[in-house]
Amino acid sequence: MGDHGNQSIPTACCHDCGGRCPYIVHVEEGKARKVEPYPDPALRPCVKVYAFPQKVHAEDRLLFPLKRTGARGDGKFNRISWEEALREVATQLKRVRDTYGASSILGLTANGAVGYLHSPLVLWRLLNMVGGFTNRWGSASNQAAHWASLVNYGTVGTGNSHDDLVNSRLIILWGWNALETMYGTGTPYYLVKAKEAGAKIIYVDVRFTNTAAVLANQWIPIRPGTDTAMLLSMAYVMIREKLLDEDFLKTYTVGFEYFSNYVLGKEDGITKTPLWAEGITGVKADTIEALAREYSTTKPAALMPAYSIGRTSFGAQPFRAAMTLAAMTGSIGISGGNAAGVGSRPGTSGTLGGPGSFPVGESPSEPVLPGGIKPLVVDHSLHKQYRIHTAMVWDAMLTGKAGGYPADIKMVYIACTDCLNQWSNTNKAAEAIKKPEFVVIHEQFMTPTARFADVILPVNSHWERNDCFRGLDYTAYGNKIIEPLGETKSDFEICCELAEKLGIEGYSDKSEDEWIRNVVPEPRDRAGNILSYDEFQKQGIAFTPIREQPIIAFKEQITDLKPFPTPSGKIEIYSEQLVRMGNPDLPPIPKYIPTWENIDDPLAQKYPFQLVTFHPPRRVHSVFYNIPAINKLEPSVVWINSRDASMKNIRNGDKVKVFNDRGATVLMATVTERIIPGVVAIAEGAWYIPDEHGVDHGGNPNVLTKDAPTPCGGIPYNTVLVQIERS
Amino acid sequence: MQTSFYFDQTRCSGCYACVLACQSWHSDSSEAISWREVLTFEKGTFPDVSVAFLSLSCCHCLHPACLEVCPVGAISKRESDGIVIVDTDVCLGKDECGKCKVACPYDIPKFGGENNAKMQMCDFCFERLEKGQKPICVMVCPLEALNFGSTEELKNKYKNATRETEGFVHDPQVSASILFNPKYN
Repeated sequence: MGDHGNQSIPTACCHDCGGRCPYIVHVEEGKARKVEPYPDPALRPCVKVYAFPQKVHAEDRLLFPLKRTGARGDGKFNRISWEEALREVATQLKRVRDTYGASSILGLTANGAVGYLHSPLVLWRLLNMVGGFTNRWGSASNQAAHWASLVNYGTVGTGNSHDDLVNSRLIILWGWNALETMYGTGTPYYLVKAKEAGAKIIYVDVRFTNTAAVLANQWIPIRPGTDTAMLLSMAYVMIREKLLDEDFLKTYTVGFEYFSNYVLGKEDGITKTPLWAEGITGVKADTIEALAREYSTTKPAALMPAYSIGRTSFGAQPFRAAMTLAAMTGSIGISGGNAAGVGSRPGTSGTLGGPGSFPVGESPSEPVLPGGIKPLVVDHSLHKQYRIHTAMVWDAMLTGKAGGYPADIKMVYIACTDCLNQWSNTNKAAEAIKKPEFVVIHEQFMTPTARFADVILPVNSHWERNDCFRGLDYTAYGNKIIEPLGETKSDFEICCELAEKLGIEGYSDKSEDEWIRNVVPEPRDRAGNILSYDEFQKQGIAFTPIREQPIIAFKEQITDLKPFPTPSGKIEIYSEQLVRMGNPDLPPIPKYIPTWENIDDPLAQKYPFQLVTFHPPRRVHSVFYNIPAINKLEPSVVWINSRDASMKNIRNGDKVKVFNDRGATVLMATVTERIIPGVVAIAEGAWYIPDEHGVDHGGNPNVLTKDAPTPCGGIPYNTVLVQIERS
Repeated sequence: MQTSFYFDQTRCSGCYACVLACQSWHSDSSEAISWREVLTFEKGTFPDVSVAFLSLSCCHCLHPACLEVCPVGAISKRESDGIVIVDTDVCLGKDECGKCKVACPYDIPKFGGENNAKMQMCDFCFERLEKGQKPICVMVCPLEALNFGSTEELKNKYKNATRETEGFVHDPQVSASILFNPKYN
């Protein structure tokens, strides 16, 4: 695509949102400066990619290996050579393994890079070959949605492809800020098309988001953590008024009678009426009744719950309740409907990483079962035995085996994550991470986590290496655009060189290019013709699989009576598996369990506001916080309803402090009508900038969030009580 | 021929892709300002709320007020396509003059943070148009809320298009070259 010595190179975004957007970079006179999308609107990326020229060439990029000089966390470092850096890391890995055992090495990774090759998996493979490591478990993102989908359907492949949305007559977006969180490139476009095709869209959420602004015919504001109560009372209306698809329930589900008995109050004496739900949710009983009737009588209708409602203390329950409603209306396995599960495509592993990912091998620190510990299971006993829950890694560093964790942590190896910033209770994290004997991180910037490292290994950006990315309907080739800046290397290269230093043989028998060829599925063009690898790399995008009709999840189960992959072969509204597990917080049918820090908690006297933390529309979590063009568009603010604000004497733009016993953050108030009273909201991902008193001035809500796993293994980012005052 | 914008306010989600794409397409500097902005209009009280967005740049008016007040002729209107452009080498600067910003009914002329900054504004990506490409803001809009064309083409394509929408008042004195699908009727 050369033009007067200039080049246009297709590549794709590597960060962890729900999209995997392809785009084109124009290189002019050797400088990669301009970004342009593909013409197809369903492939258009969001605002962030237009900040990549600034991000890649940012003045604060870490270009050389660094070694700590001051106290841990002071942020004082000296430049060292790669030779010294790798020797130090290799020496520490060996020393800790030989002195304390390999499980004393804690590997902390997340999805800071989500390529087929360049991802946390390159580090997992290395650490497994070193002799093993303690891993974490529990997704900060979609744990509840995954878990609930496995219980009810036996799979996470519950989602119709989004080009099917135009076939819905009613779409209920439940906590789903779909236009700003991008679950799948093109999803916003398909939703707008659905609305223009005549679908009514009802939006149930704490906030009136920009998604509500564009799509919603109706906004139903609801208190955080109470979604299950509203869903149960909708079920009550449907049972009372016989608005049920009886045939569907009889043919495809088990245990509806248990659920029905519970809803009707035969189990616990509480009838789950709309009036009962009104007291809990803040949603008027009339509104609930109308929605129940509308959902059960409009065909086809798609009830689409989002991960946010799962990030509450009993976050699996609203998903299981929503899936039960989908069964009661016969909305599963049909075009225009939705199974109300996690929404991954049928046949995928449930992550956008997809099949053919980099092989990590077996971990000697974990029992060698076929395939090791599986990420997606209902029963997490093995995880609890051999791994540390994501929310508890800081506690584990502080208390180790004495605290009931699988190991005493002596070394922490961090890659592809700003975990101190992004997992709960950041103040505790900042204390805990001082304890291990050695901390090493791969990073591009001096993030809040990197400040606490002993050695920082500078990683190149996705513009400086080849990779591939799996979108929902395509694979994007992430072409290298420029040579690595400074002395930066990819995570893969760093691990290869460390393996060599450690005398490990067989870490990699392939070049970067060979690995990518090896892990990427057979690329095809839109017409279904097989593309050569070279053509794929040149065109930048391949479509897998090819299809003419939207994908409908569970179509085979519904049309051909193929069994669901559950123990009973049916949709498990009632789960024997959960009966056997015997955890009262994971009941066999979905139940309303009040959250830990709720407004009836005595703690609410001191901290009367509920906090929700939402995805920053113009950042990918903490990525881009330090990029001026993005930071300007995404200032650190807390949303507060005007009624609450006037009570607290807070005006729009005032500096305020949001705090609880875990910490405090100072940021600007956005006084708005767009949030339910009693709730304040802060976007996650702002960088932790503590002052000498430990008060954060970056606007990071994780100084407030609770470090505890939810019963299904999630993180309750949206179950938090706080106070807010003018600062 | 007059080149015009079309803005579908029912589609705009206030995502700012157009703002940042415009900025990064036209300048390498991290200090650069965007020639396009997105304005947010919130209406009503909880829970009956409505929010509209307006993505706005220079509207390349038929009778540009900025052009008329510019004392040095730095602003001109191209005959071929009606695009209004500014010659920064001729512009006197914000501190010395700044008359265009006062004259524009839509407060469009932009100035950087430097002393006596020269005026900048949307040039309709005329270099892209000359290559048969769309303006970058139109090209990047994830929901295709922005479009462009000659005024006649747009009027034919969008029969019900209006000259006003939430946040934008039609001013017959200047006659902005922009048509709308308004959020509210």
